[in-house]
Amino acid sequence: MPGALDGVRILDLTWGAAGALGVLLVAEQGADTIKVEPPGGDPFRGYDGYRVWTRSRRAVQVDRRGDAGREALLGLVGTADVLVESFRPGVMDRLGVGYEACAAANPRLVYCSVPAYPPGHRKAGRPGYDALVQAASGQQWEQPGWRPGPIFLAMPVPSMGTIYLVASGVLAALLARERTGRGQHVTTSLLQGVFLYTTQLWQHIERGNATLYGLMAKSHPPGVHQPMIFECADREFLHISVMSGKTPTKTLDEILGVEPLPPEQTAGLLPLQAQNMMNEARQAAFKTRRRAELIAELVANNHIAEAIVTPEEQFAHPQLIANDMVATVDDRDRGATTQIGVPIHLLGTPGGIVGPQPAVGADDTAIWGELGYGPDDIARLTGAAAPAAARGGA
Amino acid sequence: MPALSGLRLLDFGQYLAGPFGPMILADLGMDVIKVEPVAGDGMRMAGTPFLGCQRGKRDIGLNIKDPAGLDLALRLVATADAVHHNMTKGTATRLGLDYEACRAVKPDVVYCNTYAYGLEGPLSSFGGLDPLYQASAGLEYEAGAVQHGHDPLYYRFGMVDTSNAMLSVVGVLAALFHRARTGEGQELWTSLLDGGAVFSSDVMLFADGTPTVRPKLDAQQRGFDPAYRLYETDDGWIQVAAIGDGQWAALCAATGVADPHDRADAEVRLEAAFRTKTAVMWSHTLDDAGVPNEVALDVDGGESALYDADAERLGLVTEYEHPTLGLLRQFGETINFSDTPGQIVGPPPRVGEDSRQILEELGVSETEMDDLKARGVVTWPDDDYPWGW
Repeated sequence: MPGALDGVRILDLTWGAAGALGVLLVAEQGADTIKVEPPGGDPFRGYDGYRVWTRSRRAVQVDRRGDAGREALLGLVGTADVLVESFRPGVMDRLGVGYEACAAANPRLVYCSVPAYPPGHRKAGRPGYDALVQAASGQQWEQPGWRPGPIFLAMPVPSMGTIYLVASGVLAALLARERTGRGQHVTTSLLQGVFLYTTQLWQHIERGNATLYGLMAKSHPPGVHQPMIFECADREFLHISVMSGKTPTKTLDEILGVEPLPPEQTAGLLPLQAQNMMNEARQAAFKTRRRAELIAELVANNHIAEAIVTPEEQFAHPQLIANDMVATVDDRDRGATTQIGVPIHLLGTPGGIVGPQPAVGADDTAIWGELGYGPDDIARLTGAAAPAAARGGA
Repeated sequence: MPALSGLRLLDFGQYLAGPFGPMILADLGMDVIKVEPVAGDGMRMAGTPFLGCQRGKRDIGLNIKDPAGLDLALRLVATADAVHHNMTKGTATRLGLDYEACRAVKPDVVYCNTYAYGLEGPLSSFGGLDPLYQASAGLEYEAGAVQHGHDPLYYRFGMVDTSNAMLSVVGVLAALFHRARTGEGQELWTSLLDGGAVFSSDVMLFADGTPTVRPKLDAQQRGFDPAYRLYETDDGWIQVAAIGDGQWAALCAATGVADPHDRADAEVRLEAAFRTKTAVMWSHTLDDAGVPNEVALDVDGGESALYDADAERLGLVTEYEHPTLGLLRQFGETINFSDTPGQIVGPPPRVGEDSRQILEELGVSETEMDDLKARGVVTWPDDDYPWGW
């Protein structure tokens, strides 16, 4: 069954997490996605995780610096519906493949730019690695940790917001094109990815008060959800939710065998606050319990909790498996690998993993060949030596 | 004209992972109608988390558990292109608002349910909160640097809720695109569990079960390694990102560290060097040396980020008048469109803010409206409005 993006061709000129994973979200809904790399490949390929983020696409090389490379790229643009790039503002223009040049070659092209900072921002010319945007945006200072000061975010939070803006921006523009017949220039940035994740935290309310701001205020030690992390036996941790969508058949205290606080001490408190007050007694009880058994008992009594695992342990989660989110992908170098599946579940037009990360230049012959380039031309475009057979015939 | 103008979405969601996606779709020009319980969205009492997920929507206060309310809801569905909610599994069927019921009145509707866990499977009937899926995806383990003896730590940004919501935005847009080309609607779903897994998607297991090598947070939560971490200076902190051997050598040279080859020793010397000057001074020095860096900015709980001159000029923040709260400022446009610019229409609505207008569009008379309100089927703000916002 064709995917929702059946027949849509995407050129992925990005490098780094935000562009690669943003493109993947769209690619695996049935698009024909081509990774366009400089000769020798995208430098991020050295990172193993990139095998996941750049799967489900084909790969061509092109040396964009010369006239021939620019012409070839514009030729490829003529066959495409979408182009995504993640250079600093102005770089693509200097290479002669900015929005104006590409739109002239293909007025229906949706051209998506994903720099670190938006064009016109005072930092637009500066390097934009994820942690730099964490620092410059203020996000590191917003995360409490085990010491005062800014906390380095181990998860690349700005990039992981931006992936959704890339995918949403591309799709919204494709949808608009169905009405207008025209492509357009869509721009987002890692900085906007930061803002996306501030919705509960960064607000200024003219007539605000402590009630409005109180729940989400930053605190040391961390508040709100941190007190619901508990240590079980053998230094295994779990996180309990104060709501499960169900009516518990036993209270947490009954399951743990601790005395509940008298009602006069919890009157007027949110459930979360009431539970925090009991932490000491609970903490002691948790430490006597084995985590897996306790979670099973909690779930059997309509509570919900999750084991705090390492990232690689997520693949054993029975519900993640049930969601088709644990997939086997035959990597061209590494054999059978376990990777996440497709996280957007369209029941009428299901997406799917198209294939592993392609080798650098895997589709040079096929894709440049479609545009009429012969082996010698392709060798020049891709900075490679011409194939021996072709040389022999020349 | 915005990209999604002319399209209507009905938002039956509450809390965060439901309403956030429709808010972003409203920013892109969709006519989003929040169908809110007469007693209010369960998140209203929480303040900022509620206000952060609702702007740009019209709001009808409607009791869909009442047959007359359900009838009105389905009459609205018949006018909609998409239906969106985060009810737990089975709830929409019980209410008479599942995909089959909606498709019966709008055959090409796009129907999206954002779950905690998923459509089928051992935990699919449960709800849950954002940090549980920071736990299941390994984020809390890594954020706390548990391998160094610390406790796990949750991220404060609620980004798994947002991840689920944004997966639904991408899914709804893909489904609407398919519908525009084929005339076919469909059902889709996303989940918090999957939304967390996206954040750990660079993890991969090889055939023998060993994972890919990934950088790990240091014990002081400063970064991954001496070339990619925060350093404390005389007056604050600076983030360094010296990528590759050349920039690492430049970093060592700029800070007077003689031997870049012994990284552990160099790190100790770098720490000492950085403490001798202010963060801004070091930033200029590293800029001159070609070493990527940024001073870690303390934005005072977001206050200075929301009033940053570039953010204001570029539309990254937005401000509107709320009927009771005065001026309300939040993040602004997240995506910019050259041909179909987005629109941020206005403040989070009060319960039933637009009930009368929406009911009038359905052809309900003034007399009927008053009768429905008297029976508690619909509501709109009046002198007895119970909420401050």
